[in-house]
Amino acid sequence: MSTRAVESWTLQPLTDFVKEASVRLVLVLTPAGQVLAQSGFSRAVDVMSAAALGAAIVATTAELARQLRQPPFAALNHQGHRHGIFLATFVTERGTLAVLAVYDLDISSIGLVQLFYEQLAADLKAASPKGAVPKQVLAADFERELTDSLNTLFGR
Amino acid sequence: MSLVNFTTREITCKIVYYGPGRSGKTTNLHYVYGRVPETRRGRMVSLATQTDRTLFFDFLPIDLGQISGFTTRFQLYTVPGQVYYNATRRLVLQGSDGVVFVGDSQARQLDENLESLQNLQSNLLEHGVDVRAMPLVMQYNKQDLPRELILTQPELDDALNFRGVPSFAADALHGTGVFETLKSISELVLKRLAAGSPA
Repeated sequence: MSTRAVESWTLQPLTDFVKEASVRLVLVLTPAGQVLAQSGFSRAVDVMSAAALGAAIVATTAELARQLRQPPFAALNHQGHRHGIFLATFVTERGTLAVLAVYDLDISSIGLVQLFYEQLAADLKAASPKGAVPKQVLAADFERELTDSLNTLFGR
Repeated sequence: MSLVNFTTREITCKIVYYGPGRSGKTTNLHYVYGRVPETRRGRMVSLATQTDRTLFFDFLPIDLGQISGFTTRFQLYTVPGQVYYNATRRLVLQGSDGVVFVGDSQARQLDENLESLQNLQSNLLEHGVDVRAMPLVMQYNKQDLPRELILTQPELDDALNFRGVPSFAADALHGTGVFETLKSISELVLKRLAAGSPA
């Protein structure tokens, strides 16, 4: 199973979680729907769809809780016929993050996922960068190549 | 907020199509979905009511390919235009890197366009973003309607385009102006990113 991280500090905690909790798919994402790390997806565009929907659930439940003056939902779980879906948020130095995990019911369980999710959240909190991350800039030729690339894609 | 991964050389940006109800935001995404090769796009996700009005958002991920060695992907979102869905509009707007304002060119819809623009400004402010700092493109849709019903692009620019941002006349149903708009906002967002500004 492929595990990829956009931000490298997320990779080891996620790899451990996938192994220990025996989950099929996992995303670590921001509340705006940007993916920091993923495991099990084969197409980047499918990752983005799942992240958008996961972020939408996080946003709506947080808003519902806010309007009822309650703390945000700690975790959500759905048990289907073959797969379970688990979604939870936690706060790190990098801001609030969400974990969306899909697991097969014949090889894992909500108990197992929840148990190792706690470890994942703790590991990510410990690994998240403290303070501002030094900003890298794109190469000077980026802007020059941009127009050509956009013309190619949009056929204009 | 855009994500740039210098190790795997990937860029992901979020663009939101904003505007009053029935101005054609979802139609823009449907047209893009229909014209971009399957290998360059994901599934279009629509969270809509039973009558196909946008309830939460539409979402379409597209892959722009390699730009200066970076795999560049855009997440295109629409918001629900109806006035009473403001809470969901604000949620979708969170973390956006650029906005396409889809206005309805019909003369009788001018007030709705203005109200939606003001709503955009106030929702961005709630996220701590000044609308003047956000890459923005105006699209005046439904320019295919009879002349007597619509305002022209210069008239709409006078009424709505206070910042003098790029604007496009469009007929999203048939594709006129759709890719020009998308190209323009892509360019603004990526140039801002290249300049090192926090997107």
